[in-house]
Amino acid sequence: MLKRFFSAMSGVALLVTVSAGAFAEARIEQAWLRAVPPVSPSMAGYFVLVNDTDQPLVLTGANADFAGMTMLHDTGTDGEGRRSMSHLKDVTIPAGESLAFAPGGRHLMLMKMKSVPEAGETPKVCLAFQNHADLCGAFQVRHNEP
Amino acid sequence: MLIAGAALLLAACSEPARELPVNTRLGGDFTLTDYNGERFSLSSLNGEVVILFFGYTHCPDICPAVLARVSQVYRNLKEQGEADQVRPVFVTFDPERDTAQHLREYLPWFKADILGLTGELSAIEKVAEQYGVVFIKEDGGNGEVDFTHSDYIYLLDQQGRVRKVYPADFNIDEVVADVKTLL
Repeated sequence: MLKRFFSAMSGVALLVTVSAGAFAEARIEQAWLRAVPPVSPSMAGYFVLVNDTDQPLVLTGANADFAGMTMLHDTGTDGEGRRSMSHLKDVTIPAGESLAFAPGGRHLMLMKMKSVPEAGETPKVCLAFQNHADLCGAFQVRHNEP
Repeated sequence: MLIAGAALLLAACSEPARELPVNTRLGGDFTLTDYNGERFSLSSLNGEVVILFFGYTHCPDICPAVLARVSQVYRNLKEQGEADQVRPVFVTFDPERDTAQHLREYLPWFKADILGLTGELSAIEKVAEQYGVVFIKEDGGNGEVDFTHSDYIYLLDQQGRVRKVYPADFNIDEVVADVKTLL
């Protein structure tokens, strides 16, 4: 059974923030995972990362207790309409900006699933940075994009 | 003025749906292995409208989204009592991992009567060529295998002819309406 970070969640913009100061913080917004069958070998996570600190944030990865491996990926489309995924070693979010991880583009790929959370659940996922403490949030499992 | 507007509106509403042209460059019958491990020919679905699409279950981003959208098309048709002669068909291009058993466990979750097809890689490559599908095996890093692939969705009529091709982010209502023109 998965440990749940939050027992309930209302709304799609639920997050945890780790403050660098009263008015300068980084936070995760609109965090969600696409619901997939229980036998799925992987699932994708999406979010908006807001960097209201005065320093660029370098996102390097993520971790979740229900996935044995996580990677930052980007789905690209070439000139002939072919989709491909590429591994992102890190992603920089400039100070004062935000960056979206959304379907068909940048996404968090969770693999080697120990268990697959179901729609409606809100498991905890932590984002890791080169220059910031982990940001952990409740990612709502949904069938569709919020 | 109002009467004229109403007449135009009525005319638009009563206009018959445009017949979808037959795409003669793509498609054709093929034989693969279904998710029960049995040989399966597309022509065995003649008489039904088929929504054909390709992908692989280890794909976390695009493929589950397409599966969800195709499933929604089917469920919308079912709610309208129009799904009896409609069959979504999913062809994997990752037969090594998407075995018949895995597809049999994976696809029913979508609650859309999706038929899963796998088989010998050479047979899948031939089907892909028939439908203009490109897939290239790639090293996804950390020992993971990914695919660069096209992700079109094909609407086939009761004779197995391609009548329309959609992008992965197709409009669900559009596909529902198109299917109904074929029923």
